[in-house]
Order: sequence, then structure tokens, then C-alpha cells
Amino acid sequence: MTEPRDTDLVELAVPYALHALSDAERDDVETRLSGAGLPAVDSFYDEVRAVRETMAVVSAVSAAEPPEALRDRLLSAVRDDNVIALPRRRRNAWLSVAAAAVIGLGALGVGLSLRPPAPQQSTAQQVFTASDVHTVSGAIPAGGTATVVFSRDRNAGVLVMNDVPPPSPGTVYQMWLVSDDGATSAGTMDAAAVAPSTTAVLADLHGSKKLAFTVEPGSGSTKPTGALIAELPLI
Amino acid sequence: MTQLLDRPDTLRTNADTYDGHGPVTADLDALLRRVAHHDREAFAAFYDATRSRVYGMVLRVLRDRGYSEETTQEIYLQVWRTAESYDPASGSALAWLLTLAHRRAVDRVRSEQASTQRDARYGAATVERATDNVTDAVISGEERQRVTACLESLTDIQRECIELAYYQGMTYVQVSEKLSANLATIKSRMRDALKGLRNCLGVR
Repeated sequence: MTEPRDTDLVELAVPYALHALSDAERDDVETRLSGAGLPAVDSFYDEVRAVRETMAVVSAVSAAEPPEALRDRLLSAVRDDNVIALPRRRRNAWLSVAAAAVIGLGALGVGLSLRPPAPQQSTAQQVFTASDVHTVSGAIPAGGTATVVFSRDRNAGVLVMNDVPPPSPGTVYQMWLVSDDGATSAGTMDAAAVAPSTTAVLADLHGSKKLAFTVEPGSGSTKPTGALIAELPLI
Repeated sequence: MTQLLDRPDTLRTNADTYDGHGPVTADLDALLRRVAHHDREAFAAFYDATRSRVYGMVLRVLRDRGYSEETTQEIYLQVWRTAESYDPASGSALAWLLTLAHRRAVDRVRSEQASTQRDARYGAATVERATDNVTDAVISGEERQRVTACLESLTDIQRECIELAYYQGMTYVQVSEKLSANLATIKSRMRDALKGLRNCLGVR
């Protein structure tokens, strides 16, 4: 992106945060953000965040008590809203991972842990029952945890991510299997894919020594370019 | 960049959020995480801690009690269903909530505007003073006074921009038409207004 356009973009951060753009303008800004340089995107969202925090504090001046009946209606609405909604959401998340993983495949195969019933043991089952099964786990700095269960004998692993916050708009999380020869993409995750829990199979570990997570623009990169957010040693 | 994780809980989120005036802000994050797991008690507590801010802001935008009650209900049902999308790294729970609430209020105003002409109930372009007769368990009188003082420290023109854009749901293009000022001027007034408020309120 050229400098003037990026500057122009940051000037729209306040109207954007105040919801003072038309739908068309907002879409336009979001499209431009996905193509803008990282410093511009960062300063845009820094400003948006500051405006939102400020207006949250300002809400003290307009405070007014809602009718009591509203509380009763809401509590009874959530009582009836059964928890079955959650697994369904998870399922969607897994499907999104599948879609995202296809894009970021590279040389390695990334499959789904939830496959249709297969005659053979699934990769996940093979990993979990392997004699050399290992587990590594770590906290993601932005929140949530990542766990990899893997087996060198089976040359495969299963990644489980819990409660990881979604990536900023216009970016994805990308997973990389890192060996002495460099990093190979092991799939990407967008905002829909990360919450509340995501599972992906790492179908070919080869000589990889760690699994790294970066933030990448758009739908992912062929090589790691963005900030490294976490790393799990595969030893 | 080089901060690696090797064991659980060795790294902590360092969300750069508003450090909170009053006890509410810090607890809301924890409550919202519990709401994400469909904890109904947490939802009730979250509602009680925030309802007057949300309903009051919505009422300020919609100027109609019936619409505001309906919209507030939709907002909290959205909270119940989407609490898991709250990302502490991108701001406080209160900011997440008020953003979601304001979006809905503005959408409602614009759809009402699309079908009918706005009438006199949408009133004059002034930011109201805090209503002194509101007794509120979660927002202290001092806090309201402080915010009111900060709003009053803005220039009339800056306050008007916030009034029209934030409370009347106008786009900045509509604000520029209404005030017969060019777009660049309006953008910079809005930005100055927010910067002034932010500094005055000590929001990081």
C-alpha cells in the first residue's frame, strides 16, 4: 500500500469505531485493511480500540435503568436456550478448519480429526494408541491453549486448540512445522475456526522439530512472514 | 517475537486495556468468559453490572423506551450467544459490550430512518448532562461527574460531532452535510474530540 492511502485509512479509524460509516464504506475500509501494510493495520486497530474504550467509559453519563421485566425475560430466554447449540458450533468450527487447511496445505497433508466413519483407524486413533505417544501443551500469549499429541512412529499428530481468541480481522493464524530445512505450512485458522475449540490432524511430521504459530495477512502465506505468537517443541 | 512458549501458564496475556475506574471493569472480563461457557449465573451478574450503561446508551440513541427495551434484549441475547468471540487482547469486556450494543442501536436507528422521517423526538444536538436523579449501584456519582466534566471540556463543535455521529447514528458524511463542513474537517474534529476525551478520562 502506498503511504497516502494508508494515512487516509487511519483517518477513518474514528468514524469506523463510532459506527459512523455507511455499510458500503465500512466494507471498503475492511477490504483496504486486508491489503494494507501491517503498521497501518496496527495503528488503525489501536485507534479503534482506544475509541471503544473511551466510549465505554462515557456510557456512565447516559446510564438509565431498564424495566425490571426485561431481566426476567432475558433470564428465561437463556434458560430455554439449550446447550446443544455449543457442539453444533464446534462442528462448524471444524469444518472451517478443513476449508482453511485446504488453502494452506503446502507439501504436507492436513486432515480432519472428525472424518466420516472409515474402515481403518483414523490418524487420531493411531496417534493416541501409539506406543511412543507424546503430548506438548502451551499457553498462547493472547489467551487459550494449544496442545499437540503426536507419535514419531506414526509420523502424525493431533492439534487441539481451546479458547484461543480470534485473529484480528484481515488476518489468520497459520501453523508451521519447522525442521532444519525450514518451515512448511500446516494449515491456517480464521476467526470462525478458532472458537471455542479446534482440532486438526498433522498428517506428516517428517523431521519437524517444532510447531510454530504466526499471524499472517489475508488467507495465509507460503512462508512465515508475520509475528510469531507461539511455538511448541515436538520433542 | 522471540517470546516462546514451552510450558502451560508460563506466558500471560498482556492485554493493553483500560485499567478501570471502579471495580466493575476488571470483574466483567471474568464474568464474560463464564458466559461464554453458558454459565447463567454469570450472565445474570454480567447483565446487572452493565444493564444501565447499555440501556441508557441505547435509549439515548433511539429515544424511545419500547424500541430501547427490545434492542437491549437483542443485545444481551447476542452476548449470550457470542460471548466466546470476546478477545481480551483487543479490549475490555465493557468496550466489547458497548461496541456491540451501539452497533445494534445504530442499525435500528438507520432502519427506522429508512422507513420514516425522523421526527422531533430526535431533539437538539447537545450532549445531555448526566441526570442527577439516577441512582445506580454500579456507577458512582463521581464517575458520572468526571465523564460529564470531560465532555464539557470539549469545544461545542467537537461535542456536536460526537452527538450527531455517536448518539444520532449519522455517518460522518451525513454529519458533514448537516454542519456544512468538508469531510476532512469532520474527520479531524471527530478525531480531536475522541483524543480530548481519551486524554481527559485517562484511557490508555
